[in-house]
Amino acid sequence: MIDASIFGFQFFQYALIGGTITGITCALIGIFTLLRREALIGEGIAHLSLGGIAVGLFFGIYPLYTALIFSILAMLFITWIRRKGIAHSDAAIGLIIAFGLSTALILISLADGFNVELFTYLFGSILTITKTDLILISTISLAVIIFFIKFYKELLAMTFDEETARLSGVPVEPLTLVLNIIVALTIVLSIKVVGIFLVSALLIIPATTAFQWGVSFKKTMLISAIVAAISVFSGVMFSALYEISSSGLIIFTALCLFIFSVVYTRLGDEA
Amino acid sequence: MTSVLEVKGLVIERSGTRIIDEASFTIEKGDFAGIVGPNGSGKSTLLKGILGIEPKKSGEVFLFGTELSKFKDWGRVGYVSQSAINFDDKFPLTVRELVGLGQVSRSNLGKRLSAEDWKKVDETMEYMGIIELGQKRIGQLSGGEKQKVFVAKALVRDPELIILDEPVAGVDIGAIEKFYRKLSELVREKGTTVLVVSHDLSVVFCQMSKILCVNRDVYSSEITPDLNETELLRKVYGDHFTFVFHKHECWSDLHE
Repeated sequence: MIDASIFGFQFFQYALIGGTITGITCALIGIFTLLRREALIGEGIAHLSLGGIAVGLFFGIYPLYTALIFSILAMLFITWIRRKGIAHSDAAIGLIIAFGLSTALILISLADGFNVELFTYLFGSILTITKTDLILISTISLAVIIFFIKFYKELLAMTFDEETARLSGVPVEPLTLVLNIIVALTIVLSIKVVGIFLVSALLIIPATTAFQWGVSFKKTMLISAIVAAISVFSGVMFSALYEISSSGLIIFTALCLFIFSVVYTRLGDEA
Repeated sequence: MTSVLEVKGLVIERSGTRIIDEASFTIEKGDFAGIVGPNGSGKSTLLKGILGIEPKKSGEVFLFGTELSKFKDWGRVGYVSQSAINFDDKFPLTVRELVGLGQVSRSNLGKRLSAEDWKKVDETMEYMGIIELGQKRIGQLSGGEKQKVFVAKALVRDPELIILDEPVAGVDIGAIEKFYRKLSELVREKGTTVLVVSHDLSVVFCQMSKILCVNRDVYSSEITPDLNETELLRKVYGDHFTFVFHKHECWSDLHE
């Protein structure tokens, strides 16, 4: 039997609310990053954030703040490197991963004390979401969702065909910059929820699941958000009840929904 | 009256190689102009130069009498690019959503499309004969349907000039014929000026009013009954090129 009293705990409420909001934001952003063929940027930014978190822990600053600054700088760096033709995206992502991990390793060995806390960022610890985390997550997520609603058609137009969008008067460069910064912000927020190792899964799986259904763009966004919400919600529930890793459960649920969608939609085609 | 498009001595170079060499021509209102030339001859580059997507080395381009760098009125120009039509089949977009993207412009930045905007989308889809495809995913369209859908997207805002870059690659002959009939109907009924890259020379000579032959150099000519087609085409396709063309096979009444 599920013990309903768990809903009364504040840590559990924070986990559910914070996790679901972040999951939905990731799901929406995931659609655009996948369609722009930039799925691995999530991986890069997440790994770089480890360096940011280590800097925060080392100097006694709230680690998500330093991770945010690191990730935004990294995003600008990737954009700049690509525009200048110094290297392709994948090489640029490799560079920032190297930078993030090496910084983190150096600081860990120097500090010799915050290893345990750092590991909660690696594997996620949704049940330790604090009020500060929740406020940060909600504010940024809300800003992201408002941005998506406001510039929905422009973002869609430039994701589909950048050249034509630019000709029609869409400010492609500024919007791309904002979109990139938003991706970086969202990834950092999700680190608390699923951890550095699984952040990109939260970007990729709900969106890829939604793509299977072959529906309109609006419905694809809706399905992606629902998949993320179900995954986070059930992941958090079962994790609290059975003491299993929440990030593991969240991503595993999302994967199950993905497999279900693939099988179900294919069966429909053959019938 | 000012020309819809005027190109003077346009030179485009890429990595030091000259792609377009001093092109000069004009397109007048109501022209139905075909761009022909061998593969890799610079047809797409010419169009991109006209639209300012590809930077020019020298020369001038005037759209509706305004020099390209000062031209801001892009609602008057509809463009279907080659890359747009070769989209990712998995892109989650319905036909109606795609045609709706044709309404995106500088003036409605950050605003939702109005009921009026969507009404225009439906009317344009009706005009192009694709209204019943509205809820279909764009990845499921045939080549012929794709063309019509993209032209509908470009037509939504009633442009005065529509520029199509190879809109008919991989489409069966019947569909090509219907597609060009629709374009010439557009020219006749709405007075739209059409500039289109075409691989079908018979279609160009049967249906269109002007031809631009491109192979680094650009030769433009009005299509008149006494035009020596072979001589013109040999300038870009080479001396061994033979063009067998029977004017009586034309199915259009454009030149009658």
